[in-house]
Amino acid sequence: MIIGRDLKRIYGKGPVQVLALNCVSLEIKKGEFVGIMGASGSGKSTLLHMLGLLDRPTSGSISIDGIDVGTLNERERTLFRLRRLGYVFQDYALVPELNARENVYLPSMVRGMTPNECTMVCSEILDLVGLKGRSHHLPGEMSGGEQQRVAIARALVNKPTILLADEPCANLDSQNSRIILDLFKKLNGDLRQTIIMVSHEEWHKTYFDRIIYMKDGLVEKK
Amino acid sequence: MFEESKVAFFLAKRSIVRGNKGTLYLTILILGMVFVNLIFLPSIITGVAVLFNQQSIDYSYGNLVIEPSKNQIYINNVSELQKKVEHIPGVTGVSPRYSTGATFTHKGNVVTATLAAINPDDEKTVLKTPSKVITGNFLSSGDTDQVVLGYQLAGNMNEKLDVIPSLGGVSVGQTVDITFSNGVTRPYRIKGIINSGSYSADGSAFITKKEYESVIGINDKANEILVRTEATGNENSMRNTLISFGVQEKIWTWEEKSANFLNQIIGSFNIINLIGTIVSLVIAIVVIFIVIFINTVYRRKQIGILKAIGIDRSIIIKSYIFQALFIFAIGTVVGGIFLLLILQLLAVSPIVFPGGPVAPVVDPMLIVRSIISLLIVSIIAGYVPAWITTKEDILSAIRG
Repeated sequence: MIIGRDLKRIYGKGPVQVLALNCVSLEIKKGEFVGIMGASGSGKSTLLHMLGLLDRPTSGSISIDGIDVGTLNERERTLFRLRRLGYVFQDYALVPELNARENVYLPSMVRGMTPNECTMVCSEILDLVGLKGRSHHLPGEMSGGEQQRVAIARALVNKPTILLADEPCANLDSQNSRIILDLFKKLNGDLRQTIIMVSHEEWHKTYFDRIIYMKDGLVEKK
Repeated sequence: MFEESKVAFFLAKRSIVRGNKGTLYLTILILGMVFVNLIFLPSIITGVAVLFNQQSIDYSYGNLVIEPSKNQIYINNVSELQKKVEHIPGVTGVSPRYSTGATFTHKGNVVTATLAAINPDDEKTVLKTPSKVITGNFLSSGDTDQVVLGYQLAGNMNEKLDVIPSLGGVSVGQTVDITFSNGVTRPYRIKGIINSGSYSADGSAFITKKEYESVIGINDKANEILVRTEATGNENSMRNTLISFGVQEKIWTWEEKSANFLNQIIGSFNIINLIGTIVSLVIAIVVIFIVIFINTVYRRKQIGILKAIGIDRSIIIKSYIFQALFIFAIGTVVGGIFLLLILQLLAVSPIVFPGGPVAPVVDPMLIVRSIISLLIVSIIAGYVPAWITTKEDILSAIRG
């Protein structure tokens, strides 16, 4: 369960301050597939960054599974991200020198899994995202859609409580976008995986259980 | 901690294996060159010191020098003392001699130089000078009106070629007038010319001790006795042995006699060496720093991503330190190979200094010191840029 209370985020100082989030409150239940939608600059990515512990709110609080994440120091936040959150970026963000399998099992290595455990978990997840045969390919040798699926596999490898995706289909064509969204839907349905996804594509709406609309840093009531 | 290091090592290994090879090879090459530079120059300086030390022993002092007691001009009863010293275990040669100043004249060229009055047979047991004749012959024990000159004192017809004031290019068979300290001047036929490579011997002249004593009017004396011992390096203990055998005169080691000259040379070389070492290390720091810094800045976004997916900053920093250590390790090996090649080359074609050919002397401690210096430099140069780049907050790094 994620609970955000009065989240405010102000960028900049003095006269050039930008209010990116303006007292946003929200609750997301376990197993929900939530879409955050809105126009560019509406604050949807900022909100995702707050929930994904990539940024700290200027004021307000976030509680994930009963833990007030605002009280965690940087190292604890890093560990929290490693153990409980999975993050999928718009531009895949894979390590170019690591092949698909290595990119996926990197977070498990940090958690202390043995090479055998890593290989096993990695095979399962790559199979799940339909990339078992591509495990030894470097990111540069894969298509955008394949890279994004590797990124999803990496985000899932530590069995996170919450999967956060920041416009994961922005760089993909509609066919590959559909593959990614179908995969999210499957993960959500089969594994009860909580997913929070930022998108501005209207046709994505059909995949979400619930949509949080953002406008000018506020949650819009619809 | 171990798990973190394992992940850091994994990231470093992949970055090295699959990263930009050109930059990697160039950095390793530069580090190798720095390693060579750290060792080569001090080795040459040590080689020069060894050369000068050996020259002091072979052409100037032997291992020990016995001099008259305080307030005495000469050592008296030299034959008796010579016999006594010759019988001391560990002594291989004894040469009583007079070392004095004299004025040499030849066709208007007047030069003041050192004149050594020696017993040729004794001199051969202590110094190598007698074997360094380039024209003519060395003195024989019965010679009275003959002189052997160092080639620098003999000089060149073209005085621009002379290193010291000379007699203008005299040759074997010509005559030189020698004016002694008591004012007596006598003509001497040049019997031979020596070239030892030692400044002191090549700028001196040699006559027999018997001849000198007849000119000055003294007998069985000397103002120095050179002693050669079996081994070099135990002069202090040999001095004590000589004292224990009843030698009451002052006894100097060759190091003490040549201390001022050598210390000046080595002192100057050490300053050059220190500057060279500092410059080399700064170059190493700057190069590794720039390479790692460019690497980290170039991967700023990737570092942000790694942090975002839960890779701790310390792991990322460690991975860059591992990369720097890899560059250090391979660079040192490459430098070592270069160094070996250079040493092989110099063994075939040595660097010739005014004192003779110089072979670099590589001190194992110098290698250890250089490796440790480069190791520290590599760790610093790997750590600082990684620390700076990973300090940035995740979103700024991801946005680039």
